[in-house]
Amino acid sequence: MSATRTRSISTKLTTMNILVSGAALLLASFAFFAYDQITFRQGLLRTLSAQAQIIGSNSVSSLLFNDPQSASNTLSALKNAPHIASAGILTAEGRNFATYTRQGEGEILNIPALSATETEEYRFGSTHAILVRKVFSEGKLVGFVYIRADLGEIDERLRRYAIISAAVLLLSLMLALLLSSRFRRSVAEPIIALAETAQNVSRDKDFRVRVPASGTGDELATLIDSFNEMLREIQRRDDELQKAHDELEHRVAERTRELVSANRELEAFSYSVSHDLRGPLDALNGFSYVLLKNNAARLDEKGKEALDSIRAASKRMSELIDDLLNLSRVTTSNMHREKVDLSVFARSIMEDLCHEAPERKVEFVAPATAEAYADARLMQIVMDNLLRNAWKYTSHHGHARIEFGQEMDNDRMVFFIKDDGSGFDQRSADRLFQPFQRLHSVAEFPGNGVGLATVRRIVQKHGGEVWAEGAVEKGATIYFTLESRRSAAQ
Amino acid sequence: MIVGLKNCVMRIARLQVVRAASLLVLLILGSVLAAAQKASPTESQVKAAYLYNFGKFVRWEGDRAVSPDSLEICVLGKDPFGAVLDATVEGESIAGKKITVRRLSTVQESARCSILFVGTSEESRLAPILSVSQRQGVLTVSDIPHFAERGGIIGFVMQQDRIRFEVNRGAAEQSHLVLSSELLKVASKVIEKVPPQT
Repeated sequence: MSATRTRSISTKLTTMNILVSGAALLLASFAFFAYDQITFRQGLLRTLSAQAQIIGSNSVSSLLFNDPQSASNTLSALKNAPHIASAGILTAEGRNFATYTRQGEGEILNIPALSATETEEYRFGSTHAILVRKVFSEGKLVGFVYIRADLGEIDERLRRYAIISAAVLLLSLMLALLLSSRFRRSVAEPIIALAETAQNVSRDKDFRVRVPASGTGDELATLIDSFNEMLREIQRRDDELQKAHDELEHRVAERTRELVSANRELEAFSYSVSHDLRGPLDALNGFSYVLLKNNAARLDEKGKEALDSIRAASKRMSELIDDLLNLSRVTTSNMHREKVDLSVFARSIMEDLCHEAPERKVEFVAPATAEAYADARLMQIVMDNLLRNAWKYTSHHGHARIEFGQEMDNDRMVFFIKDDGSGFDQRSADRLFQPFQRLHSVAEFPGNGVGLATVRRIVQKHGGEVWAEGAVEKGATIYFTLESRRSAAQ
Repeated sequence: MIVGLKNCVMRIARLQVVRAASLLVLLILGSVLAAAQKASPTESQVKAAYLYNFGKFVRWEGDRAVSPDSLEICVLGKDPFGAVLDATVEGESIAGKKITVRRLSTVQESARCSILFVGTSEESRLAPILSVSQRQGVLTVSDIPHFAERGGIIGFVMQQDRIRFEVNRGAAEQSHLVLSSELLKVASKVIEKVPPQT
C-alpha cells in the first residue's frame, strides 16, 4: 500500500517536472526558432538588398553602354556567395541583359512585380527567396537586378534546431528525473510519512507515535505539526480517560472487597448464631422430652399439652435454623456445574413425599428426562423446596395434581412446577421470594418463608431467573431458568 | 536600346500563360510602352545617348573646365546627329547640371565645353584640335578611326554590329580628366600610353 503510494506521488512529481520543463523548453525552442526565422529572413533580405544595390550600381555603365559581358563579369562576383542560386540583370524594357547561375541551374521564371513607385520587391517561396531591384542612373530607370537565394539554409537551421532541442530536451528530462528525487525528499517523503503514521494510528490506535518533522518550514511542515498536535491531544485525552477508568476500577475493586468481607462477616455471624442457637434449643427439646417421659404421671393434661407445644415450637425453630443455615451455605458455597437430570431429582423427591404420607391421593406428572447444566447439590435443594411447597399447598385437596415440566421460551429452557393447590393472589407474587414473607398463616400451612428465598438465591447464582404465577384456590406455578438470556443465545 | 522589346513582351505573355499561378514579370513602365511604338534606335541615336552618358563617368579636374550650373556638349565640324542629339539631352541633367548642346566652327570656341565631339570632317586638323582640347581639359569624343590611339580620349568603333568605344587613359590624364572605372570596364579597349604629339 505504502509502496504504491510512494510510487504514485514520486511518479506524479516526476511527470510534473518532465511536463513542465518539456513544455517550457518546447515553447522556448519554438519561440527561439520563430525569432531566428524572422531575423534570418530579415538578414537574408538585407544581404540580398545590399548585393542587389552593389550589382545594380556596378551595372549602370554596362546597361548604359550596352555591354552585357561586363554585366556578366559583375554578376559572376556572386559565386562567392554560396546561398545565391542565380541572379540577373534586365534592361529597363524587361529584356534579359545578363544572367548568372550557380551551377547551370534553370532560368528564373518567377520574378515579383514592381510597381512604378517601388524600387525593391521580394518574395519568399518554399525553397527560394527572390529579390528584384530597380537600377537608376541620374534618377532614370536603366534596368533591374534580381537575385534568387536558396532557402536550404533555413532547412539546415531547422534541422540543427531540432537536434539541439531534442538533445536539450533529453538532458532536461534527465535533470527532471534527477531533481524529482530531491523533490521526493522534500515533498513526497513527508507526505508518505504522514500517510503511514495516520494509517498506523487508525489501525493500532497507538497515539504515541509522531510524524517526523520535515524541517522545510512550508505548508507541509505546518500540516505535520498540526497532525502531531492532534495526536498529542488525543493521547492526552486517552491518558486522562485511562486514568479515570483505572481509578474507577480501583474504587470498584475496593468496594467489592469491602462488600465481600462484610458479607463474609455477616454470613459467619449468621452461621455462628444459627449454630449457637442449636445448643439451647436441643437442651430445651431434650429436657422437655425427659420431663414428659419421666414425669408423665405427675402432669395433668394441660401440663402435657404445654410440653408438647414446647417440643413442637423447638422443632419448628430447629427447622428454621436448618433453613437459615441452608440459605447462608447457598451463598458461601462454591458452585460446581455439571450435567444433571432434574426429572430424576423430582421423581425421587416425590417418592419420599408419598412414602411420608401414603394416604394422600396425588397425581404426579414429569418428563422422562429434564437435563440441565447446574450444581447438583443446589438443584436438589431447589427441587426439594419447590416440590415440598406444591405438596404442602395441595394438602387440603382430596385429589391433587403436581406437574414438573420444561418448555422453550426465546431459546432458553424454562422449568416449571405446577400444582392445583390453594394458590396465591398474583398481586403478591413479588413477596413470595422475600425471606420470611408468608402469604398463609402458619396454622393454615406450616413453614418459615425461607424456602423460596433460598430457591431464588440458587437460581440467581446460576445466572437464571425465577417467577411465579397463580390465583387463589386455582393453584400456583413456579418457573425458573438456570442460564441468563445472553448465555442461552450463545 | 529598344532592340528585341517586342520579343520580350511576347515572352512575358507566354510565361503568364504557362505559369498561370505565379506572378510574373510585370514591368509597368509608361516609357517602355511608349518606346515600344518606336522603331529600333539608329546609330546616331545610340551615339547621341552615349555622348550624354559619358558625362556621368567623367570627373573634370581642370579649374576652368565647366561652368558650375551646366554641362555643355559641343559638336565641332560636320554634325552627324542633327536634331537627334538635342532631343536626347532635352531636359536631362547630370549631377544637377543641365545639359546643353552647342555647335562650334573652330576649336578655339571650345573653352567652355565639357564634352567635345570631333566630326570626321576635322580629321586633318586633329593634332591642333587635340592640343587645344587637352589644354582646356575637354573630354574629346569622335567617329574618326583610331581616334583614341591618335591622342583622342574616346573613340567610337563598330564591333559585330554593336557600337562600342575605345578609351585613351593617358590622354584623359593629360587633360586632367578622371575616367570612372565603370566606364573603363565597358570600353572595348583601354589605351594607357600618352598619345604621340603629332
